[in-house]
Amino acid sequence: MPQIDRRNFLKLVGASAGAAAASGCSDPVEKLIPYVVQPEVITPGLAVIYASTCQECPVGCGLHVRTREGRPIKLEGNPNHPINQGALCARGQAGIGRTYLPDRYPGPMQRQTDGSYAPITWAEAHTLLAQKLAASGARTRILSGETGPTLTGLIDSWIAATGSGERVVYEPFDYSALKEASRAVFGASSTPVFDLSKSDFVLDFGSDFLESWVSPVEHSRQFAEVRSVGDHANGGASLVYVGARLSMTAGNSDEWLPAKPGTEGILALGIAKAALDHATQTGVAVPAADVVGGLLAKYGASSVSSITEVPAAAIKRLGERLLAAEAPLALPPGIAVLTENAVATTAAVLILNAVIGATGKTMLVTPEATASGQVGSYSQVASLVDSMKGGEVGVLLIHDSNPVYSMPAASGFNEALAKVDFVVSTASGPDETSQHAHLIVPDHTSMESWGDHAPRPGVRSLVQPTLRPLHDTQAVGDTLIETAKTMGAGVAAQLPSTSFREVLQQAWSDTDFHAARAAGGVFSDASGGGFAVVAPSAASLRFSEPRLAGEGLTLLPIPSPLLSDGSGANLPWLQETPDPVMKVTWQSWAEISHNTAESMGVEYGDVVTVKTGVGSVELPILPRGGIRDDVIAIQIGQGHSVGFYASKTEDGTPGVRGVSVISILPAVTDEAGGRAWLTTKAQVRATGAHRRIPKTQEFDNKRGRELGDAISLVALAKAGHGEGHDGGHGAAAAHGESHEMIVDYDPINDSDEQSPYRWGMTIDLDRCNGCSACIVACSIENNIINVGEEMVLLDRQMQWIRIERYIGEGFQELVTGRNLPTDHEELGNTDVRHSPMMCQQCGAAPCEPVCPVFATYHNPEGLNGMIYNRCIGTRYCANNCPYKVRRYNWYDYAIENIHEPMNLMTNPDVTVRGQGVMEKCTFCVQRIENGRQLAKDEGRPIADGEVTPACAQTCPTQAITFGNLKDKESKAVKRAEAGKARSYRALQVLNTRPSIAYLKKVTRGPEGMEG
Amino acid sequence: MTPPPAGSVAAMIRPAPRQKESATNRDILAVMDGAPLGYWLLLLLSVSLMMLAGGIWVYQVYKGLGIAGYAHPIFWGVYIVTFVFWVGIAHAGTLISAILFLFRAKWRNAINRGAEAMTVFAVLTAAQFLGIHVGRMWKSYFILPYPNQRALWVNFKSPLLWDTFAITTYATISILFLFVGLIPDIAIARDRATGWKKVLYTVLALGWQGSSRQWKSHNRSVLHLSGLATPLVLSVHSVVSWDFAVAIVPGWHTTIFAPYFVAGAIFSGFAMVLTLMIPIRRIYKLEAYITDYHFENMSRFILLTSIIVGYAYASEYFIAWYSGVEPEQTAFWLRAFGPYWISTWIMIICNGVLPQLLWFPKLRVNIPFLFVLSVFINIGMWFERYVIIITGLSREYNPAVWGVFVPSWPEMGILAGSFGFFCTFFLIFLKLFPIVAIAEMKEIAIHEKAHAADHSADHTAQGAH
Repeated sequence: MPQIDRRNFLKLVGASAGAAAASGCSDPVEKLIPYVVQPEVITPGLAVIYASTCQECPVGCGLHVRTREGRPIKLEGNPNHPINQGALCARGQAGIGRTYLPDRYPGPMQRQTDGSYAPITWAEAHTLLAQKLAASGARTRILSGETGPTLTGLIDSWIAATGSGERVVYEPFDYSALKEASRAVFGASSTPVFDLSKSDFVLDFGSDFLESWVSPVEHSRQFAEVRSVGDHANGGASLVYVGARLSMTAGNSDEWLPAKPGTEGILALGIAKAALDHATQTGVAVPAADVVGGLLAKYGASSVSSITEVPAAAIKRLGERLLAAEAPLALPPGIAVLTENAVATTAAVLILNAVIGATGKTMLVTPEATASGQVGSYSQVASLVDSMKGGEVGVLLIHDSNPVYSMPAASGFNEALAKVDFVVSTASGPDETSQHAHLIVPDHTSMESWGDHAPRPGVRSLVQPTLRPLHDTQAVGDTLIETAKTMGAGVAAQLPSTSFREVLQQAWSDTDFHAARAAGGVFSDASGGGFAVVAPSAASLRFSEPRLAGEGLTLLPIPSPLLSDGSGANLPWLQETPDPVMKVTWQSWAEISHNTAESMGVEYGDVVTVKTGVGSVELPILPRGGIRDDVIAIQIGQGHSVGFYASKTEDGTPGVRGVSVISILPAVTDEAGGRAWLTTKAQVRATGAHRRIPKTQEFDNKRGRELGDAISLVALAKAGHGEGHDGGHGAAAAHGESHEMIVDYDPINDSDEQSPYRWGMTIDLDRCNGCSACIVACSIENNIINVGEEMVLLDRQMQWIRIERYIGEGFQELVTGRNLPTDHEELGNTDVRHSPMMCQQCGAAPCEPVCPVFATYHNPEGLNGMIYNRCIGTRYCANNCPYKVRRYNWYDYAIENIHEPMNLMTNPDVTVRGQGVMEKCTFCVQRIENGRQLAKDEGRPIADGEVTPACAQTCPTQAITFGNLKDKESKAVKRAEAGKARSYRALQVLNTRPSIAYLKKVTRGPEGMEG
Repeated sequence: MTPPPAGSVAAMIRPAPRQKESATNRDILAVMDGAPLGYWLLLLLSVSLMMLAGGIWVYQVYKGLGIAGYAHPIFWGVYIVTFVFWVGIAHAGTLISAILFLFRAKWRNAINRGAEAMTVFAVLTAAQFLGIHVGRMWKSYFILPYPNQRALWVNFKSPLLWDTFAITTYATISILFLFVGLIPDIAIARDRATGWKKVLYTVLALGWQGSSRQWKSHNRSVLHLSGLATPLVLSVHSVVSWDFAVAIVPGWHTTIFAPYFVAGAIFSGFAMVLTLMIPIRRIYKLEAYITDYHFENMSRFILLTSIIVGYAYASEYFIAWYSGVEPEQTAFWLRAFGPYWISTWIMIICNGVLPQLLWFPKLRVNIPFLFVLSVFINIGMWFERYVIIITGLSREYNPAVWGVFVPSWPEMGILAGSFGFFCTFFLIFLKLFPIVAIAEMKEIAIHEKAHAADHSADHTAQGAH
């Protein structure tokens, strides 16, 4: 035995103690370090809010950026902003994540000869760019998306100073057809503004104004205001939708007319003719009758019917109804249905508006050009491509644009880009275009930079930085200025100032800049809308059915309500949020009708090849109702080959996610050179392969259960308003359901008697249009993990709120227990209900008694609390929850799915949940606590409206109202009282005593189809 | 002691030599002697499966329960199915030992030891699944009502807590029962053992000498333990069934669950006894001890419980229809004709239909048939739990989130490993302890001898005792 002396003994003791200590703590020690020097505005634990402007799309909604300890953690709409009035869409909510994307460029980089990128310093970048610019001179071009007025001004003066060539503004979704049509019909050079807030009858020719067209948040709010049965007992404004596919907007309509795609203009003229005829018969004066009368003469209902495949009776009926309406409005075609005749089609809709008297009321033709006016026509980009091909471009500076992805492959942009001597990209993270750049000068994200936005007359909105840039990036304005300085003092002297911030401050010098920073901009009433007269030249417009290339099914490329033109694809929240209609996440799919699928012999999930003259893509098929038999619809937005989240394959390896329909579209323009999307037919062939689709809802039939309920306007009228409690029963009986066994209850009994609060909600399904902004808002507020495609395939998504989309029972008879639901039931009629479902905070919660360790319990304020630390993960609570709103951490998602620096945007008020615990909606209890602190400081109870959960806060239609049910004056209680005839509780037959009162959706149904 | 020389006086006055070891001792203890290659291979297989499952489990604890096939809203999967399966298996042992003991059904003596051992190992196997199932097993002690400074307490309303108590109580009682019954037999083994076994048996035999006072105490304690264990036969699986019946899940929330589950447990327990004892009887030539008579009785039990289980199946469907509750109706309709129809029909055919063949007396003693049938019943009973748990959860109240569960390979590995664990311990038990209760067999033999004059050769009439 070896001798152990004292020295060795101590060594061994030390070593074993060290080993024991090391094995004992597997987690690294994290330290809370206080500020050494306390920043002036930051109080640890309190949020600092900055007013800014959303840069996710050209709308320019106002933001309140909530920052904690110097980091933005959540975006909310600026309640004082005239456009969004406090609400945000899903894309706006997700926009905060751009700053924290794990794949952002760390700093300026230069492309090496082997194609890799090497980091360089900013000074080197400026010098290199200056050299190239000097050499290129007038052969320099700038290709960018829409920019704010200050940056636009700076770019213009920079071009002049450096002697560069022109700037081309390119947005994949532009509204040039609308502008051109306005010019053709009214002789006005501006884009008409459509004011839904005054309309009482909306005829939508496929604009999809609630989801993707122009300004969805504003439209959603305005439409909810004029339509909500809570405010309009007669059912408010009507909506009739014309389009080949039952979109989210169409799902909110009263009647869906599946016209042949491309014939919308002819249908509009037919309806205008019907209106004009009706006016003549009834002796009503029609403003534009003299100008357009001759034009419309040949659009009789029967001939239009044969072209558009819309029944002649419907055309006549619509004409009459539009004429009879106080403030009718026809909305022009949206992106998906812009054909080579887009201008004529849009003009036809504008003519219809003139005939029915919408101009000056609901359609305003403003004299001043709006922001969309900045966007050049697609033809300018096409000519840029031509000059690039001809080697006429020396330096191409690409800012805020991803043309390699979004330009049609047939335009030849990629080949042309290769011929440019020097490509500079300002992308803050990699995208398809920046992969081709010789020099990358990464821009700040909108959270890090100064800027401004003038989306419409009277709205000047400010973008201000909310955190110190995370990476070695530079605002594009500063890059331009610094490069000019490098080029010479003479060049720099021609620029307005020496830094972009000063340029901005100069531009805003006519305002109180400090006040503007606090308010988020300067807002004044929009200048009055113009009433425009139809110009005589309109009579000479020619309308015809567009030619579609190729054979087969008409290919309908639809803008994604979430990913938009593809710019949202790298934001995991948007990928994980289910499509409002098809409920698919993370993937591409093709929609065809059941009939077409049957005739082709393909089923749900079968992979098909969609082939056009340009190319082909392979993607799984989703047969559905609510789409014409001659159409195949594919969403724009997926199919990225670059991007941390945008480009992973199903199993998480790098690759292409989904397919891009743009890659099989020919490059076609409309009459005025605008981009046309509906241009081709496609051959669809089964490949024999099958693919699982990450779809979060497979069943559309609510099987008569108390979920997503609806009531017809007639039944509601019979039930009578103001009959109080009995009204609800009457309504239920009128709807053919019997609730005799259900004992009504007062949810306020479900909190402690001593407590002044019982938190609850009122959710008005008549307002919810399915936009899914609440899902993203909730995810970001509550640190909810995006689990990715592979997990969604197992339905393991973690979102605390979901929008259940049911189709109405319609005329199908539900025989309980006997009608075997097919997996994908008909989504055909327009009785589509969107029902937000989150934890109901039940008074008699089934989840509570079954937890063996009291990890979920009833708190004194009636909330169903969830203690993560106590949870051992038996998952019994989730089994026993009839609403199925509980979500379980199957893995340590916080470690595996929060990629640095995403961890910086977690909300410090909300626990990041670990492996093996259950979680669910808390009604944003951290906000309640915050409200309680503030109220306590002032020695008063929490006031109504002081606390708003993230979902209710961001809802563009204000469908969700949160409040204290014990406060009879609270908005939530009042709304529930006012809507008593429509009120129901989800699955109330189970007597779980939910705190959420749902107000039934009102089915208005087309006239003549009633009964 | 050196024997006295033959022919000496001492030899003449020496008491008669001890009776040679009885045939019963010899035959039964022979099972414990030596271990053929087949035994070692079987043990190797069992241990491998157990180790495999252990490895998967460690990985699961490290990685998360996501490696199993759980898909929202199916939060309970193969682990709970297997838990209920093993708890069910554990029931026949106590039934045979305790209830049949109290009813003085002497025929149980031949099979009770095997059944008791099966009970103990099955309940230990089942108990592990509670730990495998929970998401944070390192915190699973929270489920015990231990005093703590944070004043945290458990929720006595939760059936899972009842479950914890039921399982621990059952495990304790069944281990005691097995051990107390073993004491006289261990003493016999002690008397012929050498080496380390001698030490083991000496300790375990607790100084058993076979004195009449010891026998009296022994019989009394067996009687008392039987009294204690009898209600457990009914209560443990009732409590397990309440895990489901107390929940509001359609297809779970029914009042018949307790008797339904108890009958199912006894049914599956007897099937497992057959599955185990038939090969053991054949390999170790215990035909003299485990006779047709025993199989006849077990077959009758299986037939009876099969009828009860079949009635429960029918009753569930009837009540679902008769209740007029749409979610119930839908759940049951989809159970038979939805995505899980295969499982449901396996369950109905294996448990409700096939055992009806036992109406034929010849089949009741047809050993190969019984073996095959018992395997089918085991499969059917596993699927019964699978059908109840999975189909119920997959088609709940909210159609928007209906889902489908597909078991993953890791959880099937752990399922296989549970058989490995069970078999490992059963095989070791086989070599260490008598698999047939020697003392009780002798009891029958003495009994037979005493009544030989009264009874003619008609053995089967003894069933009346």
